Amino acid sequence: MSTPLKTKIQVPRSRDLEVDGVKYNRAGSSRSRFEMFAWLFMRMSGIVLIVLVFGHLFVNLMVGEGVHAVDFGFVGGKWANPFWQVWDLVMLWLAMLHGTNGIRVIIDDYAARNTTRFWLKVLLFVASAFVILLGTMVIFTFEPCPAGADPSLLASFCSAH
Amino acid sequence: MSTAVTENQNQDAQQTDDAGEEAIPTYDIVLRVRRYDPEFETEAHWDEWPLTMYGTDRVLDALHKVKWELDGSLSFRRSCAHGVCGSDAMRINGRNRLACKTLLKDLDLSKPILVEPIKGLPCEKDLIVDMEPFFQSYREIMPFLVNEDHTPTGERFQSQDDRARFDDTTKCILCAACTSSCPVFWTDGQYFGPAAIVNAHRFIFDSRDQAGDMRLEILNDKEGVWRCRTTFNCTEACPRGIQVTKAIAEVKKAVFASAL
Amino acid sequence: MQVHKYDVVIVGAGGAGMRAAIESGQRARTAVLTKLYPTRSHTGAAQGGMCAALANVEEDNWEWHTFDTVKGGDYLVDQDAAEVMAKEAIDAVLDLEHMGLPFNRTPEGKIDQRRFGGHTRDHGKNPVRRACYAADRTGHMILQTLYQTCIKHNVEFFNEYYVLDLIMVDTPEGRRPAGVVSYDLATGELHVFQAKSVVFASGGAGKVFKTTSNAHTLTGDGMAIAFRNGLPLEDMEFVQFHPTGLAGLGILVSEAARGEGGILRNSEGERFMERYAPTIKDLAPRDIVARSMANEVREGRGCGPNKDYVLLDLTHLEPAHIDAKLPDITEFARTYLGVEPYTEPVPVFPTAHYCMGGIPTDIKGEVFQDSETTIPGLYAAGEVACVSVHGSNRLGTNSLLDINVFGKRAGVFAAEYAQSAEFLPVPDDAVARTEALLDNARSPHGNEKVAAIRKDLQDTMDLNMQVFRTAETIQKALDDIAALEERYANISIQDQGKRFNLDLLEAVELGFLLELAKVMAVAALHREESRGGHFREDFPNRDDENFMVHSMVYEDPSSATAGIRQETKPVVMTRYEPMERKY
Repeated sequence: MSTPLKTKIQVPRSRDLEVDGVKYNRAGSSRSRFEMFAWLFMRMSGIVLIVLVFGHLFVNLMVGEGVHAVDFGFVGGKWANPFWQVWDLVMLWLAMLHGTNGIRVIIDDYAARNTTRFWLKVLLFVASAFVILLGTMVIFTFEPCPAGADPSLLASFCSAH
Repeated sequence: MSTAVTENQNQDAQQTDDAGEEAIPTYDIVLRVRRYDPEFETEAHWDEWPLTMYGTDRVLDALHKVKWELDGSLSFRRSCAHGVCGSDAMRINGRNRLACKTLLKDLDLSKPILVEPIKGLPCEKDLIVDMEPFFQSYREIMPFLVNEDHTPTGERFQSQDDRARFDDTTKCILCAACTSSCPVFWTDGQYFGPAAIVNAHRFIFDSRDQAGDMRLEILNDKEGVWRCRTTFNCTEACPRGIQVTKAIAEVKKAVFASAL
Repeated sequence: MQVHKYDVVIVGAGGAGMRAAIESGQRARTAVLTKLYPTRSHTGAAQGGMCAALANVEEDNWEWHTFDTVKGGDYLVDQDAAEVMAKEAIDAVLDLEHMGLPFNRTPEGKIDQRRFGGHTRDHGKNPVRRACYAADRTGHMILQTLYQTCIKHNVEFFNEYYVLDLIMVDTPEGRRPAGVVSYDLATGELHVFQAKSVVFASGGAGKVFKTTSNAHTLTGDGMAIAFRNGLPLEDMEFVQFHPTGLAGLGILVSEAARGEGGILRNSEGERFMERYAPTIKDLAPRDIVARSMANEVREGRGCGPNKDYVLLDLTHLEPAHIDAKLPDITEFARTYLGVEPYTEPVPVFPTAHYCMGGIPTDIKGEVFQDSETTIPGLYAAGEVACVSVHGSNRLGTNSLLDINVFGKRAGVFAAEYAQSAEFLPVPDDAVARTEALLDNARSPHGNEKVAAIRKDLQDTMDLNMQVFRTAETIQKALDDIAALEERYANISIQDQGKRFNLDLLEAVELGFLLELAKVMAVAALHREESRGGHFREDFPNRDDENFMVHSMVYEDPSSATAGIRQETKPVVMTRYEPMERKY
């Protein structure tokens, strides 16, 4: 690695360049670390998601009766446990942010015009925010034993009431 | 490109060699070139020429044959004709290659050979593109040694290991084959591109240089190393065999090391 | 037509041009005009190294280097210039290192050095390690490093501006340059660059020959422009044929291959250089090796089906050693000939490589207008110039040295002159001649094709003006050129557009090539002796009594020999008396 420079020298910037309506000079110097952290986040969240998603699949599909056990009662039972609430919350946030960032990158890579890019991203961010908020709300406000429901559909602990 | 076909072609050439030592193997090829001259037309079109080529002829020889004997208006850049000047990067059968380093016998000659200008840079005429955006990116990463210490009377010392550290990226000839093979660059030309990063790598990892941090800051840009999607198109395109994607990955690591 | 005003205009952006630009750019307002992009220049194709008596690996000093240069040039070297070059070589290498050039290193971290043809210790005792190098890409590294340094100093480049004429005006003090006329390839428009100093650094003219290591773009533009402006050309009969070009293709295989231990063999497997140069064998100067190879082939000991090449044997070297020191040239052999240098010898044959002659200059780089006086404000450096440090045969690595030492000097002195001088008015008809040249090429006269004439020119030059020459073959070449010039008057080009009209460009370049081929032939006809790169079979010995002089040729329609007048210029001798040249 090189040693840091004592006095800053001027970075040579070439003149602005536009050829056939395409701007080739980089639009200003956006020297934030956002892209670096986004890049890092994708890799880190990817690793964590592998554990979370496969853990989720294992518990839901393999343990005990497997997929046949999944019903309203099963979900209600899981979300009564704070451990599974946190697990699913983390999985929701990471998956949504990971996916949103992925699509943001794809939009950047494939949408050539700035306005197209802007509106696609607005759509993406609104949709993601909606799903994240709705999902979070559901996890925390979920009522496992709704009043007046058929008891056979509910989790076993509901009958205690 | 199908490897099997390539091998067959080579065998054919060999057999011709064995058949008669005197006879130089000849090839009948069809050269299909994307033509565009904004002075006379608004749309690009394709021109096709059947040619008979010889022995170790390259795509550049075929282009020359057309230019010199059939159609003098066909325009392309070339200079050294043996792969060290970087003038004649073009898209040959969909891949970025130097025309002077692509032997005809290594191509699938049963189909026309498609030759197009490199992508992502504005086409000026036929196979000539405007290289200015490419060189602009290059200039922006400060492609020169910065060392503000007192200049020694002799040379600056550098160990053999330190010299080897950046050897691969010193080979770059600025032909733009890598940058113009990068799908991210094709979109809007805002990405710095592999070539600029390779040349930044050459100085960032030079033990004599002192402006590495500034280059890393430049490449930490929105359009910097983080736009690399590791598709390896650049590594595959490099006529000098530079491990371009690896160099970009090393710069990414260096950005982290300096930022965190 | 646009007019630009710069203190210094440099024509050409190869090694010499950019080295001059680095110096002049820091002292005066400088523009560099190049018909290519700077990094496409043929300096980048140089491979082996750049000699300087650094004595990093073994005892050496600049005086030995001077002697080798003088002896290598068969004593037709201006010894004051050779001394300047050998002395300043050390700083030239260090300058490049300070600019960042990635030289190969010794285990102690110093710049590594290797052997090269004709470079010896203690006046010819045995080969010495003097060439500083970066694998077999030294020229590439020099070109890149100089371009990088130009960017650092914000040098202004005009890429793809083809200089077609020099504007000379008469002043009370004599003829002075007022600027240059250039043709913008992208738009087809003429631009006049008014300047106080003009530096020519436009490279050589290897394309007069068919088999050449030179780029397609090396068409001697600078030399021909000077010649057409009434300036002399010096020592044009001396063309270097590099011994090891890939057979049939002419692509350069560096002398470093022999410096690292490669051996030349004939069809009998014999190391034939032992016969021609018993002391330093394969590392003899290029003219001797090239002639020996041509002689082996002539006497029937050539290899291959047509017995028309010899073999460069690297098979006894370790593959790891080859990879470390000669990676590019082994790749060339694999790519272009399908030969694997680890296990098979590489077919090689001499290839036209370098013009020792060119625009005569003094050691400041200032151009001579006759045998005595120079033109202040007009400079030349690099292959286009003849200082003369190469005499009748250039030693390997000395060209990279030449461009750095004399490029730097030309840049410094051009800027200094510009600081004290005034702009000269550009005459109204400055572009008239260029416009006529282009219009003439554009308008159809007949149906001759540029490429066909060029091919015939290259064929006759390869046949008659190559390693072995006689009065008869030279005259044959001259007759052929005269016939080709007549055909040239009847060319027509197909491209009628303005944008990137390379068809037009090639026609103009062919005009330059024809002119220079004629100059080379006339100069060769006059020199009735054999010296260095010029070997006359009808005069096989060196004749110091009559020909220890530089030849100077001028355009002169009244002259009987192809409209070219021949004069001479004395050789500058300082320390070394001419001796027989043996290795």
